[in-house]
Amino acid sequence: MNLETKLKTRKFFAHLFLILFILMIMTPFLTVIASSFSRGHFAPSKLFPTEISLNHWKYVLGIPHEEVVNITTGETRIIKADVVPILWFWNSIKISVIASFGILLLSGTCAYAFARMKFAFKEQTMTGLLILQMFPMVLALVAFYTILEFIGQFAPSMGLNTHAGLTLIYLGGVSIYIWMIKGYFETISTSIEESARIDGASPFQAFIMILLPMSAPIFAVVFILSFISYMSEYPVASVVLQTGEKWTLAVGANSFLYEQQKLWGRFSALAVLSGIPITVLFIICQRFLVSGLTAGGVKE
Amino acid sequence: MAKTNGNVSIKQLKKTYLDGKGKPVFTAVKGINLEIENGEFMVLVGPSGCGKSTTLRMVAGLEDISEGTISIGETVVNKLEPKDRGIAMVFQNYALYPHLSVFTNMAFSLQLNKVPKAEIKKRVQKAAEILGLTEMLDRKPKALSGGQRQRVAVGRSIVRDPKVFLFDEPLSNLDAKMRVQMRTEISNLHERLGTTILYVTHDQVEAMTMGDRICVMNEGEIMQVADPLTLYKKPENMFVASFIGSPPMNLIHGELQIQDAQVTFIEEGGSGHHLGRIQLKGPLAEKAKTLGNRKIVFGMRPEHLNERSQCENEAVMTAPVSLAEPMGAETLLHLEMAQHRVIGRIQNDRLFKRREEVTLYLNLDKCSLFDPKTEQVL
Repeated sequence: MNLETKLKTRKFFAHLFLILFILMIMTPFLTVIASSFSRGHFAPSKLFPTEISLNHWKYVLGIPHEEVVNITTGETRIIKADVVPILWFWNSIKISVIASFGILLLSGTCAYAFARMKFAFKEQTMTGLLILQMFPMVLALVAFYTILEFIGQFAPSMGLNTHAGLTLIYLGGVSIYIWMIKGYFETISTSIEESARIDGASPFQAFIMILLPMSAPIFAVVFILSFISYMSEYPVASVVLQTGEKWTLAVGANSFLYEQQKLWGRFSALAVLSGIPITVLFIICQRFLVSGLTAGGVKE
Repeated sequence: MAKTNGNVSIKQLKKTYLDGKGKPVFTAVKGINLEIENGEFMVLVGPSGCGKSTTLRMVAGLEDISEGTISIGETVVNKLEPKDRGIAMVFQNYALYPHLSVFTNMAFSLQLNKVPKAEIKKRVQKAAEILGLTEMLDRKPKALSGGQRQRVAVGRSIVRDPKVFLFDEPLSNLDAKMRVQMRTEISNLHERLGTTILYVTHDQVEAMTMGDRICVMNEGEIMQVADPLTLYKKPENMFVASFIGSPPMNLIHGELQIQDAQVTFIEEGGSGHHLGRIQLKGPLAEKAKTLGNRKIVFGMRPEHLNERSQCENEAVMTAPVSLAEPMGAETLLHLEMAQHRVIGRIQNDRLFKRREEVTLYLNLDKCSLFDPKTEQVL
């Protein structure tokens, strides 16, 4: 075999592998989309539904529609959800956005302290944070429940079954983001802030006017990651939020899957819906995710 | 334009770094005294770790002072914030704000001080004119070359109109050609503004060419403060002698032997060896006589070795060449003495061969003698 055919075969197999890999990733995604547009509540199986129906979408968006309730008699009924699933969608977005901004605020300021300031037990605190965030949030579910119940006695608007309460718990997940942002801050030369200090900026001004604008990429990444994780978070939300109108998308979607009947169609429609804000967020944040924002400031 | 109270007075300045428990770990600056006059260009020079940058950072207020005082003008500034000290600093890595335009970079301090917009514009434009940055005010630092970036950093300090400029190795990130150019520019700037400059560098050429006076530091202590020529001609100790000058002063360990009227310097391990003997004459011999027979370090600059006789008080040295480095206008000859290797800077238009025996005349009037124990000049 000469070199050229060898290269061609290698190229062929490489491409074959990549195409198969892409199919593997895309198929589940496409099946879910297909399933959301198919008639009936069968488990997603077909890539191309035989009958296109918008019923699941209508249900999810709260539009009254006719649906067959008894297959043998062909009896139909006008159906409208008691709690419109789109409400869960808004709940999710609201909680995720507020919690993510909170995370930015907390982790950004904490990371600044860890990266730039000297204080007692700094190393120990950092390690502590790292170890703490290795335990999944689920482990503390009972504690969260008790804490929120306790808070609820004094401030009912922040207790159990409130969005504020859930956001409060979500804000506890800052430690990994502190590590991420701290790592980024440490790549920025301290002489830039020292220069700002000589120019007359207070530490807070130097942080806000100099360090933050230079750190836009890492903040965009942190925002996206925390937004995605809270959009799809299930265990904590399912315990804290108890009534239908308070549910988030993940909790609501799960409610379609009973032991006796799994409403895969509605579930799929809701799943596709949840992907939309994440996609939009990616598009918005993309312009912050440029490298070289700090270029030209210092000579390495 | 020239200011009146830009003198800096450093008294018994000490910097000790502490570990987490407050125990002293390392003393970077060991109680130095230095007076810098108003309008003076003072260069702090020394090898890395000698405490020169730490001293500068203490003057700037970026580093706490462990002991002693720093005054700028008549004010003790120990407890003042950097912005209230009347200083401006140029960093080695420029430390520009990468997300701001050149204009905003330069205007930043004025904006923080709530200076009226028209005034800011005027001052930035004037500084930009001085530094030839007028065309680049809208650009981001990323779009500038290294030299231009450093000029923006200088512009940023000019705009503040400080009493003292602090430069922390500003040229060490530039390429050789740019460095020479910026050296001239900073010197011209000093001429034009007449403001006190405290300039830190590890490059002795920069120190010699730019400074009105030079302060040589080593291991947290000041070795000598003098103008460039005094520093070169009359080093007070062996450290300064070997630090200033390129190639540095040849330092040869040995002893003095006085017999009748004859004063001879004999190199260590060079007794009976014709290579290791230098016959002293003139004022140097007179001085040696007062010292008596003792161990000594003999210092000679490379350029004081000549192929032809040039003055009266000379010693003749014959030695083999171990390496010849033709530089064009001159040749650096490495000569083997008994134990030491001596470098001579010879003005000659011929190529030297290795192992060739050369006879050189050493100008004894320009040589120095040092005490090997205290390393101080005798």
